[in-house]
Amino acid sequence: MSLARFVGVRIAQAVPTLFGATLVMFILIRVLPGDPARLIAGPEALEEDVRRVREQLGLDKPIYVQFGDYMLSILRGDLGVSIKYRTPVINEILARLPYTIALALAAEAIAIAVAIPLGIISALKPRSRLSYAVSVISLVGASTPIFWIGLIFIYIFAVSLRVLPSSGAETPRHIILPAVTLALLLVGNLTRITRASVMDTLGSNHVLTAISKGLAQRIILRRHVLRNAMIPIVTIMGIQMGALLGGAVITETVFAWPGIGSLLVDSLFYRDYPLAQGIILFIVLVFIVINIVIDVLYAYIDPRVRETLWRGGRS
Amino acid sequence: MERREILKRIYETRRKRLWEMWEVFKSNKAAYASLYIAGFMVFIASFGPLIAPYNPNDFDLSMARSPPSLQHPFGTDELGRDILSRILIGARYTIGISVASVALGALIGVIMGLVSGYLGGLWDSVIQRIVDVMLAFPTILLAIALVASLGQGVTSLIVAIAISTFPVYARLVRGVVLQIIGEDYIAAEKLLGKGSLYIMFKHVLPNAVSAIVVQATYYMGLSILLASALGFLGLGVPPPTPEWGAMIGSGRTYLFSSPHIVVFPGFFILVSALSFNLLGDGLRDALDPKSRAMLRRG
Amino acid sequence: MEKILEVRDLRVYYDLPQGVVKAVDGVSFDLYRGEILGVAGESGSGKSTLALAIAGLLRPPARVVSGRIMFMGRDLLSMGEDELRKIRGKEISLVFQDPVTYLNPVYTAGFQVAEVFEAHRGGSPFRYLGEVVRLFRMVKIADPERRVNAYPHQLSGGMKQRVLISIAIAERPRLVVADEPTSALDVTIQAEIVELLNEIRKETGSSIIFITHDLALLLEIADRVMIMYAGKVAEIGRSDEIARDPMHPYTKALLSSLKYERKKRLQTIPGSIPSLINPPPGCRFHPRCPYAIDICSRVEPPLYMTKGRSVSCFLYGGEYGGDSKS
Repeated sequence: MSLARFVGVRIAQAVPTLFGATLVMFILIRVLPGDPARLIAGPEALEEDVRRVREQLGLDKPIYVQFGDYMLSILRGDLGVSIKYRTPVINEILARLPYTIALALAAEAIAIAVAIPLGIISALKPRSRLSYAVSVISLVGASTPIFWIGLIFIYIFAVSLRVLPSSGAETPRHIILPAVTLALLLVGNLTRITRASVMDTLGSNHVLTAISKGLAQRIILRRHVLRNAMIPIVTIMGIQMGALLGGAVITETVFAWPGIGSLLVDSLFYRDYPLAQGIILFIVLVFIVINIVIDVLYAYIDPRVRETLWRGGRS
Repeated sequence: MERREILKRIYETRRKRLWEMWEVFKSNKAAYASLYIAGFMVFIASFGPLIAPYNPNDFDLSMARSPPSLQHPFGTDELGRDILSRILIGARYTIGISVASVALGALIGVIMGLVSGYLGGLWDSVIQRIVDVMLAFPTILLAIALVASLGQGVTSLIVAIAISTFPVYARLVRGVVLQIIGEDYIAAEKLLGKGSLYIMFKHVLPNAVSAIVVQATYYMGLSILLASALGFLGLGVPPPTPEWGAMIGSGRTYLFSSPHIVVFPGFFILVSALSFNLLGDGLRDALDPKSRAMLRRG
Repeated sequence: MEKILEVRDLRVYYDLPQGVVKAVDGVSFDLYRGEILGVAGESGSGKSTLALAIAGLLRPPARVVSGRIMFMGRDLLSMGEDELRKIRGKEISLVFQDPVTYLNPVYTAGFQVAEVFEAHRGGSPFRYLGEVVRLFRMVKIADPERRVNAYPHQLSGGMKQRVLISIAIAERPRLVVADEPTSALDVTIQAEIVELLNEIRKETGSSIIFITHDLALLLEIADRVMIMYAGKVAEIGRSDEIARDPMHPYTKALLSSLKYERKKRLQTIPGSIPSLINPPPGCRFHPRCPYAIDICSRVEPPLYMTKGRSVSCFLYGGEYGGDSKS
């Protein structure tokens, strides 16, 4: 099928998932202890004030109506109003979103720049010391708590050596430590997957055919090994996005990076639940969209995939 | 007479297979070592209170934030509490929560997978949808959302992590179920009148067990990181509980002056997660029939 | 007739953890211009390894231990990688067994064939797509203009195999080594492919080494046949003569099992293929040979030449007449 149709079908498949995610968030909110109307009205409010707030928020209506309203407002882009800032949640998110995007992109860039070459080299020389070192580092990397290593980095680079700033986002140099910390989360796994994929592809039969044609080594490596090996790697990168977004929450908190992750943690601390749930829902939406993009990318680079769409969504 | 012979042979083959698995596992030195390390962690989690030299909650502000010494091998934290003792007690929380949530998550996931794969139809669609929605959330976010709504405390932490991790088991088991129910011997059993539960326990589960065990071990590592991350963020166990992540979270303010408060608990988190990950690798190789074949030929 | 290939005492071993596998252990034969040489043998006889060795495609853990492969007077085994690259695809090419895994799923069929031209003439492969269309027509791929832009998974098994053949004959090589080119296909398509190879041979004058386990097939299309067993040559000769009068006991057994059913199953010969790590002493076939005599279990038979046939069996050498050739 054509790429355009593939995109359409994929989006259609994502809609029920989006619906489900919204439902889950809605249920979680309702489970919360405490009366949201009272929370918003404030501790000094009188009974009638609380009742007014409750009416305003529509909390007196039956539950399914509330859910319907909730869904409609989300479709409109209205994620509620923050208790602390008294501004629409969506505004708060959009204000700080660029920081999170910058951090995520920087971390992903670092991870790719480090992991993929390392993975390829250790696949081409499987018994070398480099290969062994790579396995060890990736294993340790996957087992390290990010918040801890972030703090260690701060101590080493900001306190002892005094070469990099420890928190905040004033200058471009401020992004270095958080991005490297976040990248650590991804590098281990990505290196391992790259190596496995390249090794796997090196042994495949079509490479033998390519050699038998008399093609130059460089061309064979680029066209028949790496291009094929990248396919599963792209999928993995998509899956890693989830970990990236989650890790960003922690990293931003450690480094006081003004993105939506630290906003989320703060909002929980201040019990600003509308803000918190708005952020979570937003991130989930972004994650779903990213996955669709990855799937489309995958279909673009591997023509076989376009036909297998009906066999149950993502491969 | 014959039946006993057959049973004896089955047990012998089973024992031989187990021995082979053990040998392959042992040959992976890192995994073998990690077995001991992981075991050690579980040990201190179980017997921590008996070994700890101090009461983890005894604070002494005059001794606050002192670096490692003979008296306090790991130093004291911001309230003067002995860090070594807090780490030993904290193991019960970090490791204990992880074990419980892995067990719970696996239980929920396996049941969902069995139901989904075996009963098919509407059950399958509904459960698959639920799994898809769960997987649409990045794991940490789901855990955060769940903890936020369930409130603080050990139980909600366990439940939150379990719910965040069960989808993978469900998919895994469902895959095994679908693979197996097409086989002829299942049809034969059904003709013989064996019930679904019997088939599930006797045929499906044994085939899925190794994959589940390997996945669970990896998830132990992940749960340790997840639980401590939630502790660090201040969600989860209430103070003054010495959960390793929470210790780092509260000690963070004094990073510049007394880094040891942060270093030691984090180190333990790292070693624990690492040992379970290595264990997972070792188990995966041991349980993989190809590695056992290599052993046999070598 | 012009001799294209001269293989002398080729030995190729595999270094595996279980031991050293002597896959090809002293194989010698000649190949002439324009002829189809069939190589028959069951799995483990070393025929695929032989194919890879001739094409210079051996990869570790395989290594060439000794021997010569003289192609047009030059020893392939002593050539460097750069020289070999010029020969691959242009002078010697390979047709592989399984068209599914031997084609890259990510590129179109036309592109992959055009790569052969790119390798030897330079420039971008897209430049040569017109020639690829002609090639496709030659190998009888229907609707060639469309097929050039098709991906491998969109083509049938037979078509994919024709694409592999196109790759092999693109630069009109002198030698085409076909390793089980029909084993993965339906019987009806098999016949077509075989016929196609025959036509190509006639048109281009290339020599073909046709490797298969299907002896019956070889006796039909090959000019000469070489029977391999356990890494060694059992018999070489003209296919019609071998069919009429098989000499080596193994050949005789193969042919007799043909008479009863058209499948090549060796359950009809008692015993099994010997281990290639620890082959039996003397003649490798002697444990299963109904004619074995004392010397067969002690000394390896040389390749005797008699009546235009080469046989590696003591029944035909020494006191029994014929000269030794090695």
